[in-house]
Amino acid sequence: MTQSETESLCAKILGLVKADGAELYISDSEDLLLRSANNDITSNGLINSLSISLSVSFGKRSASISINQTDDDTLRAAVAKVEAMAKLAPEDPEQLPPVEPGTYAPPLTWSDATAAMTPEVALARLRPVIEAARAAGIDSAGYLERSINGSAFANSRGVFVYERSTTVGFSMTARAAEGRGSGWASTQVTDAAQLELIPVGERAITKALASRNATERPAGRTTVVLETSAVNDLLGLFSGGLDRRDFDEGRSFLNGLVGKGEDPVGKALFGNKATLFSDPLYAPAPSGIHQSGLPIQRTSWVENGVLKNLSVGRFWAQKKGLAVQPWPGNLIMPGEGKSLDELIAGVADGVLITRLWYLRMVQPESLLYTGLTRDGTFAIKDGKIAGPVKNFRFNETPVNVLKNIVASGKPERVLGSESDMPVHVPPLVVENFNLSSVSDAS
Amino acid sequence: MHRRDWLKGTSAAGLALLSSKWTSTAWAAADLSTRFPALADAAMAKATELGASFADLHLMQTDRESLFVREEMVQGVDAGSSLGCSVRVLVQGAWGFAASGEISEKRVLQLVESAVAVAKGQVGWRKQPVEIETLPSHTGRWEMPVTVDPFTIPLEEKVERLLAINRSALGKGASYCNSHVSAVRERKWLANTFGTRIEQSRMRIHPSFSITLVDPKKGGFASRASSRPPRGAGYEHLSEWDAAGEAALAVEQAKEKMAAPSVTPGKMDLVIAPSNLWLTIHETVGHATELDRSLGYEANFAGTSFCTPDKLDSLQYGSNLVNLYADRTAGGGLSTVMWDDDGVKTLGKEFPIVKDGVFRNFQMALGQAALIGREGGSNGCAYSDSFDAFPIQRMPNISLQPGADNAVTAESLIADVEDGIYIDGNGSWSIDQQRYNFQFTGQVFHRIRNGKIDGMFRDVAYQGNSVDFWKACDGLGGAPTYELGGAMNCGKGQPQQVAPVSHGAVPARFRQINVLNTARESGKDIAAGPIKGCDCSGAGEWA
Repeated sequence: MTQSETESLCAKILGLVKADGAELYISDSEDLLLRSANNDITSNGLINSLSISLSVSFGKRSASISINQTDDDTLRAAVAKVEAMAKLAPEDPEQLPPVEPGTYAPPLTWSDATAAMTPEVALARLRPVIEAARAAGIDSAGYLERSINGSAFANSRGVFVYERSTTVGFSMTARAAEGRGSGWASTQVTDAAQLELIPVGERAITKALASRNATERPAGRTTVVLETSAVNDLLGLFSGGLDRRDFDEGRSFLNGLVGKGEDPVGKALFGNKATLFSDPLYAPAPSGIHQSGLPIQRTSWVENGVLKNLSVGRFWAQKKGLAVQPWPGNLIMPGEGKSLDELIAGVADGVLITRLWYLRMVQPESLLYTGLTRDGTFAIKDGKIAGPVKNFRFNETPVNVLKNIVASGKPERVLGSESDMPVHVPPLVVENFNLSSVSDAS
Repeated sequence: MHRRDWLKGTSAAGLALLSSKWTSTAWAAADLSTRFPALADAAMAKATELGASFADLHLMQTDRESLFVREEMVQGVDAGSSLGCSVRVLVQGAWGFAASGEISEKRVLQLVESAVAVAKGQVGWRKQPVEIETLPSHTGRWEMPVTVDPFTIPLEEKVERLLAINRSALGKGASYCNSHVSAVRERKWLANTFGTRIEQSRMRIHPSFSITLVDPKKGGFASRASSRPPRGAGYEHLSEWDAAGEAALAVEQAKEKMAAPSVTPGKMDLVIAPSNLWLTIHETVGHATELDRSLGYEANFAGTSFCTPDKLDSLQYGSNLVNLYADRTAGGGLSTVMWDDDGVKTLGKEFPIVKDGVFRNFQMALGQAALIGREGGSNGCAYSDSFDAFPIQRMPNISLQPGADNAVTAESLIADVEDGIYIDGNGSWSIDQQRYNFQFTGQVFHRIRNGKIDGMFRDVAYQGNSVDFWKACDGLGGAPTYELGGAMNCGKGQPQQVAPVSHGAVPARFRQINVLNTARESGKDIAAGPIKGCDCSGAGEWA
């Protein structure tokens, strides 16, 4: 749908609503998917999907509904149903009226080149990557996803905000049968004109060959060099814990970092090399410009180790007299610009980690997560790669990671294992990282 | 539910149009059933005309509803429906796939053309053509039998049940309590070029709560989540649950957990309740024995497996007590269906994965059995989670079979443990991408001393290697102790698909398993007794 078609549909649906308040979100996507394994395409798809989410309220009573059809009968039935649900719902003291119109910056998330990418073009781009793996005697498995999306948020107070986005993400795992080597690399861009698939494949293959015949290094706390995908995962999980209400209610990891009655914001809770912000207009990894109609601004979360902000929902902001603070739509950590080799050169004894996997919360009191390394783990000795080592399970909290950064590299946009949020972060050297046991996985 | 009851649902009278004011697109089901044969014929003819050696058409309608109550506030009253179709074609040994939310003959024929074009784009550079077995054709309808359709229950009743949970927990001293129930109905229509024309409908429901205790004076908090699993069932799965009673127990257990000594890490004997063990089965056996994973199809995301085809019929996966069976026919099973999403009939396709401790079979979808030289084709394990998802191999219900002695209970397993832990409820879970190294926590960790429960531990996780763990199993509860656990949200594939799956289990005993102290893992010192500053003297302290 075009912007005007989307706006007309919003007006049509809101025109059917009789409730006191209404919020409407429409998302229209076309995804092109190419998935490969064993050096062949295994599945694929050209997927058109539409979603319409409508929330209505009568005073403090509210309900929501989602549908994916736009015929008149469905729209009328959906509105009637959600209004009936809302009338029956008990009053929620925390229910607030829809947001008022805001000022929205033009997003940076669109590329005509990406929107124009056809399945034929995508297949042609992927073919040499797979053929290079075949030529190298490597098993490759990859995933390319090109997404085009137009979305609108509208409400009964006159808000209408429309944004378009495009992304292309590609990741590849290369596996060497002999010696059980495995390597992984990825890229994500807004503009397909900047998409380079072949170097991704080359990095994965190089790492797979280098990781053959891994030896066992004892588990324990050690210095690690976290490549950007691992940093993506850990910082994403950290940002998910930055909630003002959880802290005020005493059930946040932040409660354990400050004394009774102290506020964590403004305190140096982390190391001075820890800086983290979000900015929807950050060109290398832009994000959407609003959350449920609330404009998203550039927000500093951690600056030189000092906690600067927590996310605050609308109700909690009103109750506590605070400013509303939406969750981050992207994450950016400016690095020191060092190359990965320079970071490794500064480590006397440690481990280089390519990628993390299966991260799960173990202890919310400390934000302790567990997970594993995969697809390229190497020992570092005297500033050089000393050879591949078996993978590790870690038990570590991102809090410690942010406390123990000793150096950082050049940031890049990279895919993680846990989230699709745009992330632009550097590789990090982190001391005293808890590699708790060895995994036989390769 | 017994097999006999399940079979009743296969009658031609099944899949009646469900009248419900809570489902958004119920009115469309009958219409789709009417339109489906003509759409199917048109799509199959077009695919064949364009050179497809195989094609299928999927229509899918999903209805969802969920309620969320925070303390005494109803904060989420949500309903949703999606409807759409997809076409999958096999052309010159390559798959093509396309999907849309629009269901019309014109759109379906466009999808066929798109899918064929993507498939033909691979011609000339494929390394190995995709080959599939010929499947028997099926026609018919099936509806998962449930006692009470949750979509027909008035909102007020469901809300009151959740409020009652929260009132019970808060009344017992919980600082916070969230409760939630979600229900899903999937309707699917499938046609393929083998002549299959089928319709089926399934239901699932998951009621849950989580309580949190906070010590406002001195800091510290603890949580305890409910143990009621999701189930392929109707509203009765919520209405027959003494949720308020469990909520009250949860508060008492959370208090005891906060006051409990922190566990000393090391090797310990564990007795694991079905409420925890189902997830361990899922991760260490379920995913490890997916053939697509073993063959590398999931290498870029979910991973591969230590369990490779050369280990079939030879790998000692566990002690000879261990029997793990797969089915898609168990009553109440989240994976239970009449036909899988390749159109394979599941009845009669049940199979052992581990028998007497030995690895016996993989889970397979269309075209996979021949890759390892197995006769009989797919064992009915294909699933797509939405109308726009390519069907992939997903988990059937995989369950640990009871021990031979019906008299064995959790208590009798505990009686033979000198120093150990009885673990109840599932908590955190993680396992490597080849399913060797796992780590799990739980909800409640009862200390075992001299064959009896003696208080609790806190900060417990158990960690190990899948095969070593199952080899350490030396005791199983009898049939009366069997319980069906499961998950609504098992993830796999790119783009990720989410599948529901059940796992039955009995209490089981495992000798000398590695126990971690999670507080120590986070870098904190282990306190000798209660959490520093935690006053555990009574309910009033937790207000």
